Amino acid sequence: MERRAVLKIVALTAISQKLNALPCAAMGQMEAPAAPTATAYTLQFFSEDESRLLDQLMEMIIPADDHSPGAHEAKTNLFADLMVATSNDAVKKQWQDGIGLIREEAKNSSLAEALGRAAVNEENPTTDLERFFVVLKQMTVNGYYTSATGIHQEMEYVGNAYLGAFPSCTHPEHQE
Amino acid sequence: MSKEEIFDVCIVGSGAAGGVMAKELCEGGAKVVMLEAGRRVSLSELLSHKWPYDLPYRGLRREKQAPFYQGDISNSIAYADSDNITVDRVRVLGGRTLHWNAVTLRYADRDFKEWSLQGIEEDWPLSYAELEPYYDRIEQIIGVCGNDDHLEILPAGKNYLPPIPWRCSEHIMKRATDAMGIPLIAVRKAVLTRPYDQRPPCHYCGHCMDGCDVASIFSTPDCMLPKAQATGHFTLRQNALAREILVDREGRANAVSFIDTDTSTEQQVKAAIVVVCCSTVESARLLLNSRSPKYPMGLANSNGVVGHHLNGHLNESVSIYLEELEGQKPSNQDGATDHVYVPRYNHLFGKNDYVGGWGFQVNYSSYMFPQQATRLPGYGTAFKERVRKMQPGYLSFGSWAKVSSDYRNYVTVDPSRLDAHGIPTPVVHFRFSENDHALWKASTQSILEVSSHLKGTVFPSFGTGPTGFASHEVGTVRMGKDARTSVLNSYCQAREVKNLFVTDGSCFTTSSEKNPTLTIMALSLRAADYIKEQRKRGEL
Repeated sequence: MERRAVLKIVALTAISQKLNALPCAAMGQMEAPAAPTATAYTLQFFSEDESRLLDQLMEMIIPADDHSPGAHEAKTNLFADLMVATSNDAVKKQWQDGIGLIREEAKNSSLAEALGRAAVNEENPTTDLERFFVVLKQMTVNGYYTSATGIHQEMEYVGNAYLGAFPSCTHPEHQE
Repeated sequence: MSKEEIFDVCIVGSGAAGGVMAKELCEGGAKVVMLEAGRRVSLSELLSHKWPYDLPYRGLRREKQAPFYQGDISNSIAYADSDNITVDRVRVLGGRTLHWNAVTLRYADRDFKEWSLQGIEEDWPLSYAELEPYYDRIEQIIGVCGNDDHLEILPAGKNYLPPIPWRCSEHIMKRATDAMGIPLIAVRKAVLTRPYDQRPPCHYCGHCMDGCDVASIFSTPDCMLPKAQATGHFTLRQNALAREILVDREGRANAVSFIDTDTSTEQQVKAAIVVVCCSTVESARLLLNSRSPKYPMGLANSNGVVGHHLNGHLNESVSIYLEELEGQKPSNQDGATDHVYVPRYNHLFGKNDYVGGWGFQVNYSSYMFPQQATRLPGYGTAFKERVRKMQPGYLSFGSWAKVSSDYRNYVTVDPSRLDAHGIPTPVVHFRFSENDHALWKASTQSILEVSSHLKGTVFPSFGTGPTGFASHEVGTVRMGKDARTSVLNSYCQAREVKNLFVTDGSCFTTSSEKNPTLTIMALSLRAADYIKEQRKRGEL
């Protein structure tokens, strides 16, 4: 939206008491969220195999459910590739090693069970595998909840809008 | 600007202090040149409303704030022998008025009298009563919303814009603080709640810290500099990085040498008066880099005080997910970041074994990203659902507490470590005092105590010791009553160099728990009046 148009809207809404009196839900988002662009992304750090593995792991961390799609739909693995590719060598090594550890762990069971074992000490990790889970989950959370899927479909976030008035609390029970 | 032109005043820095000074002096008829190391970021260049997924790194690498950190500003500082503090310097036309959430609190009378009332630090060389008319005037100029809450600890003006309406979580917090005997009031901030001074009111997008794209928050490029420009007396030099202040044979400032960072050439601007407003660290740096036979330790630094007494705020925070709001239908809670404020209250409950206090800022974080997702253990469907259900209950608040002014905390310059333009860079030396540690402990306990009165999931964010400064650093070119322990008089005038003034946060004698910007602007306004009067009398 052009700044001039924004100013016009804001000025109009400020001047009009009637408009200010409208329920805020009616104002809604004046700028509709842009649809994510479907540009092809070329992997910069992970191999195709590694990226597929990450996709599976991240979808296990934030899966699709009845409410919304999960990390796979949000392409969180591609976000991880960009972030790691543009990080320092220590970070790159931790990811490379971490993927190796998860693979190793899954050899005699399944990926889901390996992830489960990696997650057991999330709040106080003591092994490299457990520390990698913390990093993997953080990346998944960051990627998912900053994606269009995470923001609009999962969280149903309705902000980042130009409002004429703030929808203040009108609940007497909160104000007693 | 011709080579030989001599300006009445050269102002170095265009933030809160410089903006006020430029407007006032130009309107008073002075011919003013302003040097700003950064350049203007136009409103249309701001990325405030961009969605994370439209930014290269989803905003996680501060892409939205990148325009405020021009050149090598982020890399040209060092910390030696320092506790966990950060000086958040920006380089942009308007300084931190482009990158703030605009909380504007007056100091109370007691905040100017730490020595008289508490036996620590020093008293300021001026009182609240002397500064009050300037608080009144500056609030009128910039437009401040809020109320007069009749609190001695937080004096108020009489003409505020309507306060910002409150969120559900803020009413619920007030229920808790009322029960504890703690005041919670509408925040006072330089955000417009109705059209004012030809600027539109806030549209409640929550992006205050990313730059306001319609100028509803006060900033100097949108509010002060156009007024200075309208007088026809104002010259602005952007991308002009001050290297040193030059002096004549009598030791009076007569020019400022600067690097034109566009052309990498060194230039000079001549002026009868120099006003330094580059923020606490940079102002000290400029004076310390201004060495001459007359001032071998730096300009106005014969007593060795310039750079010392660096202090600011220590702060901690908590996130709470209120049970009674969890699971509700998502609603737009962005607002204008914080809408309420908890003024200092520890002095109401008897004597403490430390000096100073804290206030709580409330809900200053974004609602877009669910912070609880980074704190909740687990994964899978249950984790995802829990994150979603908690979000409507989000409430956060943080303490901003006083840090003591201490000579042993200081900024110096390192001639062996130069910035991209060959200018010695600042080095910070800072340790929290015993009192700071005690105050930190008390403030974190108070956060937990208030949290315990709120039913919900609590995530404190503090570690094992204090951190600071929360962009509120002050004190390196302090004013004072004693010429041995201060640099400036109460008009921000250097005692040693009569035509040199320093009006940003570095002029503070001591700090309080309040955010410093309103006091910076009031002091700058007072100094501007003094300069105008002295010029009329031919004293400057």
